[in-house]
Amino acid sequence: MDTQFVGEHLWPGKLGHLFVISTFVGALFSAFSYWRAVQTEKTDAYNSHSWQLMGRNGFVLHAASIIGIFFALYYIIANHLFEYHYAWQHSSLALRSKYLLSCFWEGSEGSFMLWTLWNSILGLVVMSTAKLLETRTMAIISLVQAILATMLLGFYFGPDVKVGSTPFMLLREQMQGAPIFSSPNYMDFIKDGNGLNPLLQNYWMVIHPPVLFLGFATTLMPFAYCVAALWKGEYESFVKPTIRWSLFSGAVLGTGIMMGGAWAYESLNFGGYWAWDPVENASLVPWLTLVAGLHTLLVYKATKRSLIVTFILLLLTYLLVWYSTFLTRTGVLGKTSVHAFTGEGSALYWHLLIVLGVLLVLSIAAMTARWKQLPRIKTEEATSSREFWMFIGSIVLLLSAVQISITTSIPVWSPLVKWISGKDVAPPVDVMSHYNNIQVWVAIIIAMLSATILYLKFKQTGWATVLKRWGITGGIALVMAGLVGYAQKITTWQYDLLLFSTCFAIVANIYYAIAIQKAKLKQLGPSVAHLGFAMLLLGILISSYNKEVMSLNTLGVTFDLSKDDKMKAAKENRENVLLFRDMPVAMGEYTATFRGDSTSPSDPRTFFKVDYERVDTASKAVKERFRLYPDAFVNTKERNLISSPATKHYWNKDVFTYVNSYQMGGEEKFKDYTVHQGDSIFLGTGYLVFKGFNKEVNNPAYKPEEGDVAVTADLAYFDLKGVKGMLRPVYYIHDKFDNQIEDTLKSSGVTARLQKILPEQNAALIQVKQESGKNDYVVLKALLFPYINLVWLGVIVMVIGFFISLRNRLSY
Amino acid sequence: MKKTHIVVLVLVAVAVCIIVTMFSDFSTYETFASASKQPGKAFHVIGYLDKSMAMDYDPVKDPNHFTFYAKDKSGGVTKVIFNGEKPRDIEKSEQIVMKGYVEGGAFHCTGIQMKCPSKYKQRDMTVSGNAS
Repeated sequence: MDTQFVGEHLWPGKLGHLFVISTFVGALFSAFSYWRAVQTEKTDAYNSHSWQLMGRNGFVLHAASIIGIFFALYYIIANHLFEYHYAWQHSSLALRSKYLLSCFWEGSEGSFMLWTLWNSILGLVVMSTAKLLETRTMAIISLVQAILATMLLGFYFGPDVKVGSTPFMLLREQMQGAPIFSSPNYMDFIKDGNGLNPLLQNYWMVIHPPVLFLGFATTLMPFAYCVAALWKGEYESFVKPTIRWSLFSGAVLGTGIMMGGAWAYESLNFGGYWAWDPVENASLVPWLTLVAGLHTLLVYKATKRSLIVTFILLLLTYLLVWYSTFLTRTGVLGKTSVHAFTGEGSALYWHLLIVLGVLLVLSIAAMTARWKQLPRIKTEEATSSREFWMFIGSIVLLLSAVQISITTSIPVWSPLVKWISGKDVAPPVDVMSHYNNIQVWVAIIIAMLSATILYLKFKQTGWATVLKRWGITGGIALVMAGLVGYAQKITTWQYDLLLFSTCFAIVANIYYAIAIQKAKLKQLGPSVAHLGFAMLLLGILISSYNKEVMSLNTLGVTFDLSKDDKMKAAKENRENVLLFRDMPVAMGEYTATFRGDSTSPSDPRTFFKVDYERVDTASKAVKERFRLYPDAFVNTKERNLISSPATKHYWNKDVFTYVNSYQMGGEEKFKDYTVHQGDSIFLGTGYLVFKGFNKEVNNPAYKPEEGDVAVTADLAYFDLKGVKGMLRPVYYIHDKFDNQIEDTLKSSGVTARLQKILPEQNAALIQVKQESGKNDYVVLKALLFPYINLVWLGVIVMVIGFFISLRNRLSY
Repeated sequence: MKKTHIVVLVLVAVAVCIIVTMFSDFSTYETFASASKQPGKAFHVIGYLDKSMAMDYDPVKDPNHFTFYAKDKSGGVTKVIFNGEKPRDIEKSEQIVMKGYVEGGAFHCTGIQMKCPSKYKQRDMTVSGNAS
């Protein structure tokens, strides 16, 4: 039964398998050794140190192995070894080399590997910096690493239970029983791989997943330090490193999330950077709790208050990271999410549930064991103190996370509701307004707090100066909000409130940085981060409140509508518009003209050329002209396309265009239309209206003879500007045979033929064709986002703020 | 009781109120038949493309009008009107989740999400809602 297969490259896979096993064993060994080191710490210092050294060696072995896995898998993908299932499924020969790395994160094996890799690198940093907390933090980190490594094992226990999934699986092992693998030279038939999902062939997809996974990895460190502190029962030494790691985590995770937004904005057709999609929410929620935990930790550092809530928030953050993995990787979200993730089946489902259970039990055990001895302060904090309001802000962030989680988790808890009440709960029909209507209040409160809290002092504040400063900044903010609100026509009162609070936060943080901190870079972290956050909120507000669909189709609706429906139809956004080649169509303040397509041999995509022109209404002079190239992967066989938008960037707005459908090179063929008097026939560049039959035949090509019956169909040709001319094709019966004489309208290239008269229906069968090229069209959507750059700038400023704080805290 | 506790309690109370009212936002999965009992009210319907019936999308006539027939889980077939472009690969979809309301015997669809079988993986796709 042993077939000798020809043409396989087995050594990278075998090496990879070896690394997978050693990475698991190394992590397990390290966790055990560190645990022993903690156990023997008090009783036997010498032994404890030996255990610690072994733990270190184990972790180094683990980290080296995971790097080995990375290179083995990279070798397989880069050399197109399609005998490996992973390479076959996620890459192809045509894949451009810059996207090779993207293959790592299309499949879940590669994603888990990347996650483990980041963890191990950060783990090495913790190992060399944690000092007295090293044994405990590293025991936790190694334990998590061992758990993560099980995701890559791919071991079978019996025929049905599979633990993990290895990226080094051979194609023939994955698809056992497929007839092709019975021939030893099967490799001769496997010439190419499945290829990478076109949506991932985008530069954002090269950097967004690794940054996001780095963000996920960083949340492990605050978790490990918190558990270590609880384990040790000592609540001092963990504070500084946890603040540093939380700052780093907030910066990286925040960047990762917004890079996802940038990707959605630039390559997906959501028409935006944030759609409250479950997958996006799942990564946002841990960031919210992390930021909340960071703030309560700062409170604890300054005042010794809020320790318990800090532990809860930071432990919860890590659990939520795993919960988000559970949501996005197991296909639970199924019918509610847009993102293209694989459902890995029930094995991964239970595997992740077990991991979540283990981490949850660990967290709860650590908390309950120390619950009674956790330091608490009996006295009350003053209402004028900074810690009081920071605590409130953190709770608001937590509640925001709770709300987002409940709605996002509908597919998780709806089976229970169905079981109890029989109601099959679905997400809100209008998801965007559901979240926006609730989260706008969170945004208002958080912006107000970040405008005002910095002026308060820890423990006790003198009201007089604070009120004066609030008054000044609030006054400036009110003027600013008034101006922006008037210019941007923001009339909904909730959003006016948000506008004021974000302006307040912007003004207050700038004022604080300049007037109070005297722009000393070292201390600027918090005010810069809060300034960035406020700018982000303002950017979100303006860009989404005034988002404009430029391609709004206002042409008449051609299907039957009763009166009520018309009201509804008027409300409906008819967002697609049809552009025939070389026919300008007004869109917002622009006119758009489709100019054909272009392809290049080195690029699999088709580019559609769309010219935009902005004409001054008074002088008729062209003020601006530019061309956009929305592109698409076109599947010629099935005539469908996966399109990505093209965007014209201005400093204060983006014009965003993408193609939904197209027709090119329409052949010159007659098409049949059965029409009654008054009916229209829609063509490439205009339409024909059938005015009726006419017995007066004046066509020079027709010479009347005795006994003939002759009639013409009068067709008026309209283009978008009006009547262009008449076509009068002739139909006559001569000698019992019917004959047709075509008529052509040269200027428009339209030819019509009266094929038949259908007397019983009182209708005519008319055949029409139009010169090729004139029938080419694209269906496109164009959107205008004002001040979108404020969103990106806000994120960048916020992240810079995180890093300034981090640098400041590292230099101590 | 500490001030912090009171404020937290108030916040939690407000949050609970918001969450309770938020439940009225949630939609339900229905069949065409049960959705037609409340015409004009939006629901989710899970169904399949009925390939025996014709699909109609002629962008030349109207780029925002696509009709097809779908069979829901209980077997009821209804005409679906979607005010948008024809979603790519709908022919290949093995399941369609439709958001919309029944009116005049047809299901007016504001958003379509499809589950498409790819040979060895499943991919979900959505066409954004075009009605508000």
